[in-house]
Amino acid sequence: MATADEIMEALADFQVQCNDNKRLRRMQRDWSKVLHFNALDTGDAFTMTVVNGEITRNEKGTHGTPDVVIDADSETMCDMFWGDINPTQKYLRGEIKVKGSQEDVMRIDAITAVIWPEV
Amino acid sequence: MTRKSTKKEREELKKQALRDFARHVNPQKARILTNAGLDIIEGKREGTVVWDITGTRYIDCITSAGSFNVGRRNPEILEALKKALDEYDLGVFLLCSKPKADLAKRLAEITPGDLQYVMYGSGGGEANDFAIKLARGFTLKTEVISTIRAYHGHTGFSLAAIGRDEYKKPFFPMVPGFKHVPFNDLKAVEEAVTEEVAAIILEPVQGEGGIHIASDEYLRGLRKICDEQEILLIFDEIQTGFGRTGKMFCAEHSGVVPDIMTVAKSLGGSLYPISSTIYREELNDFVMTHPFTHLSTFGGSDLGCIVGMAVIDFLIANDIPQHAAEMGERFQMGFDELLKRYPDLFMEVRRKGLMMGLQYTNDSIGPRMSYQLAQNGVMAIYTGNDPSVMRLMPALVIQPDEVDFVIEALDRSMAEIMKQGGIERD
Repeated sequence: MATADEIMEALADFQVQCNDNKRLRRMQRDWSKVLHFNALDTGDAFTMTVVNGEITRNEKGTHGTPDVVIDADSETMCDMFWGDINPTQKYLRGEIKVKGSQEDVMRIDAITAVIWPEV
Repeated sequence: MTRKSTKKEREELKKQALRDFARHVNPQKARILTNAGLDIIEGKREGTVVWDITGTRYIDCITSAGSFNVGRRNPEILEALKKALDEYDLGVFLLCSKPKADLAKRLAEITPGDLQYVMYGSGGGEANDFAIKLARGFTLKTEVISTIRAYHGHTGFSLAAIGRDEYKKPFFPMVPGFKHVPFNDLKAVEEAVTEEVAAIILEPVQGEGGIHIASDEYLRGLRKICDEQEILLIFDEIQTGFGRTGKMFCAEHSGVVPDIMTVAKSLGGSLYPISSTIYREELNDFVMTHPFTHLSTFGGSDLGCIVGMAVIDFLIANDIPQHAAEMGERFQMGFDELLKRYPDLFMEVRRKGLMMGLQYTNDSIGPRMSYQLAQNGVMAIYTGNDPSVMRLMPALVIQPDEVDFVIEALDRSMAEIMKQGGIERD
């Protein structure tokens, strides 16, 4: 089980990795979304705001109307943001649930492919 | 005699092919397919079956969205192509040719009603592009009514006709004049009609959209609107044609004859690309005054036309549309059992012949079922416009024991997904 602070720490690292990656920023420059993450075992929730490909904010709790909602247990969520797991494989095994358009799901997969090509 | 490669060598060959594909074709596609358990490098293919180059056997229920109705490497079609290669090549697209004339005559014979003239292309998008060009050119009107979730191809006019913004957004602005209305909703069409509407285009069964079947009443209603308002009716039969729905063309179920019909995919017999736009005699008035309005180097090549004729001969000689209807019924019996067994996962079947869509409870299930089915020896993929729907489109030559194999694979896959959870309805 991961605490809310541990997930926030992982999210902060994920934000730096994404925002510092020039290639990723160019690829996602037409992508502005609000993402909600729900840690199902602890009940914690998080909001990530992306504006023109830049992650501008990570917050505890749910804020705004989400374009994408991702549910997983807290440990999986933490591992996902540290790049320790392949999120697509977890998704295909039902351990991560994503609600959103296929385009957004593909965009998220492309982000992980760029920042963690080896995962 | 050449030495047969070892399993280890074949596995290395596969890894290399995937690496090269990722490096030089499309890395994200390779990644997604690998994650989805569909990192299949096709080796031997025969009838309904394909073997990965490592030797793993799959029943092919993808068939490039219904492109392999006669089966993979059908011996009769293969023989026709081999024989043609002794004498023919593509042919000069600008010239008249006997294979072009023969296939057009044959298409005019087997398509419904008074469809008579054929314009050739090399793929479905091109066929729909020409259908829309013809409609605009003939009527001198500019608007086209299409349907939400429709799929007509990724080329210019066809892309504008698609009913899914995700495919179009990066390329805005689209060709203007396209309106999209809900499928199977006559009132919405009536409200969208203006004096500027040249054509209504639709698939009698939406494929990419999630296997949604147009009702006979809807199609008859569209015909009536078109007749009253002098609008052309275009049926995109690229996936539904050539026996897929249990009749040679899906239009035959309703008895509605369109003004223009587009076909592609299975006309190529899994061996040679070819598409056709088939239209009524009256519409040829536009082509009379614009005889070089649609030139296509590879469209209607002599080789493609010869393959097309062999496909039609095979379908008729073996009464494949009837066989497809019977095998569809056998699938339905299996689906009915699965619907009872997995009501929290598997909600509905939408099926016409062997054009089959399984509606699951949420968007994640389609991709997850693709993965599970691949582990159970079946290649199948969810629909592009709705991932909660699994599309099953096996070759029409599928046999009863193969139908049972697919049903058993579905059963095992659904059982596994039930164990995993995450099946709540969206």
